Amino acid sequence: MIITGIKITILLMAITSVTSLLLGTVVAIMRISRIKILRALGTIYVEIFRNIPGLFWVIFFYFIFPEILPFGWGARLNAYPNYPVVAGVMGLTVDNASYVSDILRSGRLAIPHGQREAAISSGLNRVQQYIYVLLPQMFRATLPPLGTRMVHNFKNTSLCMAITAPELTWATQQIESLTFRGIEATTMATLFYVGLAGVMASIIIILEKVLRIDIAKSAYQTRG
Amino acid sequence: MDFPGSFSNIKFYLLGAYPNGPVGGLLLNIVLAILAIAFSFLVGALLGYSRLSCRKYIKVPSVLYIEIVRATPLIMLIFWFYFFLPYVLGKNISVFWSAVIALSIYAAAYEAEIFRAGILAVPRGQMEAALTSGMTRYQAMKFIVFPQALKIMVPSLVSFFVSLFKDTSVTFIIGVIELTQTGIIVSQRQPDKMYASYLCVAIGYFIVCFSMSHLARMLEKKIGVFDLESYRPDACRDEYMLMPTHRKIPDEKVPAAGCYPPGL
Repeated sequence: MIITGIKITILLMAITSVTSLLLGTVVAIMRISRIKILRALGTIYVEIFRNIPGLFWVIFFYFIFPEILPFGWGARLNAYPNYPVVAGVMGLTVDNASYVSDILRSGRLAIPHGQREAAISSGLNRVQQYIYVLLPQMFRATLPPLGTRMVHNFKNTSLCMAITAPELTWATQQIESLTFRGIEATTMATLFYVGLAGVMASIIIILEKVLRIDIAKSAYQTRG
Repeated sequence: MDFPGSFSNIKFYLLGAYPNGPVGGLLLNIVLAILAIAFSFLVGALLGYSRLSCRKYIKVPSVLYIEIVRATPLIMLIFWFYFFLPYVLGKNISVFWSAVIALSIYAAAYEAEIFRAGILAVPRGQMEAALTSGMTRYQAMKFIVFPQALKIMVPSLVSFFVSLFKDTSVTFIIGVIELTQTGIIVSQRQPDKMYASYLCVAIGYFIVCFSMSHLARMLEKKIGVFDLESYRPDACRDEYMLMPTHRKIPDEKVPAAGCYPPGL
């Protein structure tokens, strides 16, 4: 049970990290775009999802989302046996993406104007500018807060127990109620969470050392 | 859309069964968050200060506490205090108080970090000047450094309050009847109007968090951002201008972190 729990937790963590990075990037680009509607949409997204707890979104996607889907898709979703996990992935993704987009946006603001100008003058179009020049710098400059967010996201996977996704916290509760060996199971789970968070933090520190560029420093120097 | 079921329940969402029963709903979330912040403030301050100590036997335990609590999901903490505190104490404690204790333990670790950032943000010259004018280190801390640190900490504390407020929603898992739980109860009573009750929950959280996070942003503009926890080397140039001058500017030679006051 614990092993399945660990597997599901890691699965949740991995999927939501990737999807929330993608969604967060899209929203960040929307928020810094020149088109007013996109910018407004991005801001509304961030304000809504940042100011309502992640737990609410997880529950929302489990209970309400199938109800409001048209054409009987909701019934099909409800019939799907792993729907708790899917709902958890969706809830965590939208929650985490709002934070990610905020972090990335601040990364974009930190990139000196010269980078954009250089990209324009070397003939790159809008999309190419983002792909080759701006996005890599945004990610590399914001590695530390992004890393903290990802560890948070990993901890938040435990919220999925509220919708009976069979992840680690849920498994410990099942063990508690089936065998009364709750203390052992909870200790195991806590150790696992602390351990994996530590591993993630150290991976992020290593990544930071390898990849980090100190944009603040260069911006500071260009100002003289 | 009409919310027939929800408008009649609005008092239930806001106050729970308050005049006739225990406090619940949105008010309970606020009460939980305030109690947790208040209880954890002293512990957090002590932890944050001892984390800055040069003495290993003071520093290591507080670092361990902070890191372990911060690496554990809140749900786990809540379970620990709900299911296993009775074993240790030998008697039952109410759901509400176990939630408050777990939240305080959780908040103390984060507040310690905020507090540490606040102390480090006070210019070193302040401490040095206080010491040269004949104050003891305790006096210097009490009259000079701490008041300034407190002022710097205010925006971070407010934004931490927002995130703690959101985290109080997790306590519904052990059956605290706060806003999320209220929403679930109401939606189970009226399964045909589920969306309405969840909308009410969302609006409740949104109003409080939105206003508080805007307050935090306003305070940040007024007082200046300083938060080592979310220290952003990517802060935009305008923010640099707002920042207190003692902010860690990369060109400056910065003494090794970890000890406070440095060189003493």
